[in-house]
Amino acid sequence: MRRNKQLSNADVQTRRFGLSMISPTIVVLLIMTAYPLLFTLFYSFTDYNLLRNLRQPAEFIALKNYTDLLTDPYFQQSIWNTVKFTILAVIFEMLIGFAVALFVNSLRRGQKAMRTLLLLPYLLPTVTVALSWRMMLSPNYGIVNQVLQTLGLPVFNWFSDIKTAFGMLVLIDVWQSAPFVFLLLYAALQSVPQSQYEAARIDGASRIKILFYVTIPNIKNSLALCALLRTIDSFRLFDKVNLLTGGGPANSTSTITQYLYNYGISSLDFGFGSAGAIVMTILVLILSSVYIKRAIQ
Amino acid sequence: MKKLFASFLALTTAVSLTACGGGDSQTAQSGDDGQGETLNLILRAGTYADVIKECLPAFEEEHNVKCEVQELSESDLYSGIALDAINADGSYDLCMVDGSWMAEFTENGVLANLSELGYSLDDDIIPATTSICYVDDDVYLAPYYGNVTVMMFNKANVEAAGYDASSIESLDDILEICQKAQADGKKGFIYRGDGQNNLVVDFLPILLSYGGWVVDENNQPTVNTEEFKNAMNYYLELIATGEAQVKDDLIASIDTGAGTMGVGWPGWYTPTADSTADYIALKGTATDSSEAYNANVYGIWTIGIPANSQNKELATELLTYLMDPAVQKSTVASGGVPCRYSSLQDPEILKTYPQYEVVCQALESGVYRPVIAEWTQFYTTLGTEMDNIINGVKTVDQGLADAQSQLEELMAG
Repeated sequence: MRRNKQLSNADVQTRRFGLSMISPTIVVLLIMTAYPLLFTLFYSFTDYNLLRNLRQPAEFIALKNYTDLLTDPYFQQSIWNTVKFTILAVIFEMLIGFAVALFVNSLRRGQKAMRTLLLLPYLLPTVTVALSWRMMLSPNYGIVNQVLQTLGLPVFNWFSDIKTAFGMLVLIDVWQSAPFVFLLLYAALQSVPQSQYEAARIDGASRIKILFYVTIPNIKNSLALCALLRTIDSFRLFDKVNLLTGGGPANSTSTITQYLYNYGISSLDFGFGSAGAIVMTILVLILSSVYIKRAIQ
Repeated sequence: MKKLFASFLALTTAVSLTACGGGDSQTAQSGDDGQGETLNLILRAGTYADVIKECLPAFEEEHNVKCEVQELSESDLYSGIALDAINADGSYDLCMVDGSWMAEFTENGVLANLSELGYSLDDDIIPATTSICYVDDDVYLAPYYGNVTVMMFNKANVEAAGYDASSIESLDDILEICQKAQADGKKGFIYRGDGQNNLVVDFLPILLSYGGWVVDENNQPTVNTEEFKNAMNYYLELIATGEAQVKDDLIASIDTGAGTMGVGWPGWYTPTADSTADYIALKGTATDSSEAYNANVYGIWTIGIPANSQNKELATELLTYLMDPAVQKSTVASGGVPCRYSSLQDPEILKTYPQYEVVCQALESGVYRPVIAEWTQFYTTLGTEMDNIINGVKTVDQGLADAQSQLEELMAG
């Protein structure tokens, strides 16, 4: 009996020690993550405007920001644009990144050189990427239009034409972010046991079968992680849109973040902007819930 | 050994923390190279800041002061000033302010009362440019850079259409020139389609020429009027001759002749006798026979002192120095556009920079954007609906009716 009690005390002490070890991390997480989130949530129920607040404090307006936001057709359009962009960008980035990773992994020589070259777009700052593409697609001196003109093909005003602006943003994002997918999947491919490939080959499996029955099952966790990270990142798209189109033409490229910038941040209506940020957080959580659920299990 | 290492780490951390937290506001204001105080300026990037920067060394030397300049884009400048305004001790001592921010800034006590600091505007400054600088007879801002909308054009394209700078009388002439250029395989009218502010600002001179405006005398929105619709229909016809481009492309287009005309600002381009492009002030007439209105819209960059500046007296001296007629005249060679008769009507200056005659005329009859605290939301809403109309998502009637109802809601609070 006494021995059992001693063991139980030891358990409690071990648990306490464990808690004390992780407590600094919990405190940091609470300060860095939970506090800003709660702060944003609080302000989303007020009419807080940064400048107006200097002369009159923000007032509690309950759900008005949320009802204004969710009934605004431009916000609805920006949600649709964001979802559309996320789906297209993630699909293309995953497909291209995976294909390139398979290709580089299959090379017998030059893997290191290819890896470095392929990573370059991802290493560039987004501002540089956006401005480089703007120059290349400029209707005046852009190389793309000049080449098209030389070939006798129609030219476009890429970022100002409602038919092309959205597609260009997807293209630029895929160009910059596919290397990230490549890097992650390439690393995962390196860890697939060669013995499984050899066994499959001995059994006479075709390349397609090897891909679907050996490669993909072995890297499925990396594929899921990659898709999740790209989904979250694509959902928060802002810098490219802001630099290249500002959400236009006719809101065709306005994402949720761009909408919040135009209607909440640039006019310093942080209460309204906070409501938008909360809605966006909920949407991202829903999108990533499958992965989070899996991680918890 | 481990204890020694741990003690060393603890000591290093303590020293670092002490060093990080050791400064106070007074030392932050002091120069670190043997000079006296430091003045922090927050300015609009580009020529507007460049001309101020070139004047600073003389002031620094005379007052034994160091001036730190932060150059920002228009939207960053606005949020930079606003974000600093909530601090009791401000980081900035002199700020550049767009005229359209004036109401919001003064209403919320962002700017210092310059009259109380002993500054007053002199008679040499073009009177119309000072209209927004006062609140109840007190000066809050000084008009520094005379930006006013002008019509940029490519000389060769305009000549090919049978016109020159002096013969462009009305908006109909502009449309005819652009249509002829389009027929010749060039682009006619180029406009800035990126961002609601640009869309609205480029359109305002056209709207004024049709006798319309975005608000009435009580600052209530007037965007669903006959004048606005006529101006919008004309604008749609005009922009159909060209296309939307970003600012740099617009300038390059008109300079190279790929494009023919576009609304611009003097700060963008300095025409010379040999340059391929030039600009004129709009006459404010829609047709040759219609009434002439003031159609030049101010984009004047004013300078002021934040109310929470820690160096108001010295900042006032700097502002007075920058507004000095002789100092302002010296900036002309670098692209400065003072709002002063002594600079813009100086025969020597006009000999080298004849375009200042046009700028002076435009500044004398310019119109400020509405001085309302809600201007940022106002142009965002209007610009969004104009963008829809321009891209065919909504009809003129539908788009303007939607804009009117949204703006009425906005102005009702």
